[in-house]
Amino acid sequence: MEILLSGQLLVAALIIGSIYGLVALGLNLIYGTMRLLNIAHGDLVMIGAYTGYWLFTLAAVSPVLAMLAAGALAGLTGAALYFGLFRRQLAGSQPIERIEANSLLIFFGISIVIQNLTALAFTASPRTYQALDTLVRIGEVSIAQSRLVALAVCLGLSAAIVLFLRFSALGLSIRALIQHRTASRIVGIDVDRVQAFSFVLGFALAGLAGTLIGVTEQISPFMGFPFTIVAFVVIILGGLGNLAGGIAAGMVLGLIETYGVALTSANLRSVLIYGVFILVLVLRPEGLLQRRRLT
Amino acid sequence: MRLLTTREAVPLLLVAAIAAVLPLLGSDYYLGVGFILFGWIALAQSWTVVSGLAGYISLGHVVFAGIGGYVLVLTWGAVPVWAGALLGALAAGLFALLVGLPVLRVRGPYFVILTFGLAEFAKYVVINIENALGRFGRLILGGPPLETLYWAMAALALAGTLAVVAIRRLRLGAGLVAIREDELAADTIGVPTVRFKLFAFALSALLPGFVGALFVLRTGYFEPAQAFDPVISFTIVTMAIVGGSADARGPVFGALFLVALSELLWSNFPQVYMIVLGALLVGFVLFAPNGVAGLFERRRAAAAAPAGG
Repeated sequence: MEILLSGQLLVAALIIGSIYGLVALGLNLIYGTMRLLNIAHGDLVMIGAYTGYWLFTLAAVSPVLAMLAAGALAGLTGAALYFGLFRRQLAGSQPIERIEANSLLIFFGISIVIQNLTALAFTASPRTYQALDTLVRIGEVSIAQSRLVALAVCLGLSAAIVLFLRFSALGLSIRALIQHRTASRIVGIDVDRVQAFSFVLGFALAGLAGTLIGVTEQISPFMGFPFTIVAFVVIILGGLGNLAGGIAAGMVLGLIETYGVALTSANLRSVLIYGVFILVLVLRPEGLLQRRRLT
Repeated sequence: MRLLTTREAVPLLLVAAIAAVLPLLGSDYYLGVGFILFGWIALAQSWTVVSGLAGYISLGHVVFAGIGGYVLVLTWGAVPVWAGALLGALAAGLFALLVGLPVLRVRGPYFVILTFGLAEFAKYVVINIENALGRFGRLILGGPPLETLYWAMAALALAGTLAVVAIRRLRLGAGLVAIREDELAADTIGVPTVRFKLFAFALSALLPGFVGALFVLRTGYFEPAQAFDPVISFTIVTMAIVGGSADARGPVFGALFLVALSELLWSNFPQVYMIVLGALLVGFVLFAPNGVAGLFERRRAAAAAPAGG
């Protein structure tokens, strides 16, 4: 019981929650603007984790810098996929339901390709590394430096993106696209450009978050899928296109996971996450559909 | 109506012919490959019932095979082998019936990701149960010989193919296709959508339950992470998409093609095999959504059309 009331657990929950929020933000952007369900989202987290690992191991680059490289790499992957595969799909005359369903299968294939390319290049065995592991004491609570950085970066970036979407012209165009595709085109928004930007940004955020995750978690080619699921839970809970809501939902999931595991056992973590995922989808699929009917 | 149209006869005869020929080659290797091939055909045909006909794409079909395998090892020694396999199939069907009601209300892409989540959920639940019991993998000794398993699996493949052929002829098949095209409209003109979907879902779980039990009998080993491996779901989907999932031909073509590919690549280059699979899935969804069967159709249509038209 005592451990449940400790600040330590609360901080751990907030850190996990802020990471989940940032990972989900990328998925939300891509789904919101293009109705593409990126089941490979977690694999970008994996790419980011490996980027951090190799930069640190080979060149002693701090994860704080490596995460920028990871973001760039994931963003480039996104650009290649957008211009190579998805742009034509989106420009075609297919109904949106068709694009949604196909995007799932396409990303499913892409996910398998990314995972196995990684396994081919770096073997399937899990890796860990020690960086930023000095403990910082704040009052009662002691946290590893890496987690503190993760918290700061995730919260800072999430806030920055919310502000960007609220106040910049490009950000407003993104929100317009989330609300109504056809109408955005009519009022003169360059839909293709906004889509490309959202796609690349969504990928980059996942890669960047991946580096932060890789510092504290085991890195393997197949580590990504749980993060995809987590991101889906978060955007369903928070509501589509509601990016601030998604950040809050990330926190909620972080709390559920941390306290759920503390009350039961670490083995049950996956059961808990998938359980929440199923419950949310079965009980409240409209959460995700809220503004979808506008298209 | 003809007894069998070409598109119905081709897959049935193909399965029967392969089943008859492979044992003549007189080597356990071919029996083993045939066993796997028929397993995939049965799985992909089952997938076609709910995902091809009704359009409810399942990315978690492995869950039914996993349940079948798990029930087999749980009942091992307590009941005869075939009763255990049958119980596995029934348990998978029952599971589909129970989760189907809430799950099939979720439509389109949300259903798709839900099936994946559900399969992973089941996997971790079984892993935790086995851990709590202190069991880390279960061995099964003294199962039926390979030849028996081969014929059993061939029968399942034939049954699956026959089931898809039959369903397409029944009101059920027409109803499922109507649901795929426009569920609301189907409902409006009186298709019992809820009942049909649930029935199709349960039906598409039965054979995989059986196949999962046979897989365990063949390897002589049950390990949850392996029995519920999402790669199995992925392979089923890829087979059905590559072959085409509009009728019973596609799964047979897809399974044949992928098993041949797997024999070439899997043992030496497993990752390359998976990469090719992923690329095939992406390529077919983008450029040939009706699969190899659809490509045949298109060529025939082109040949039949007057020149220049």
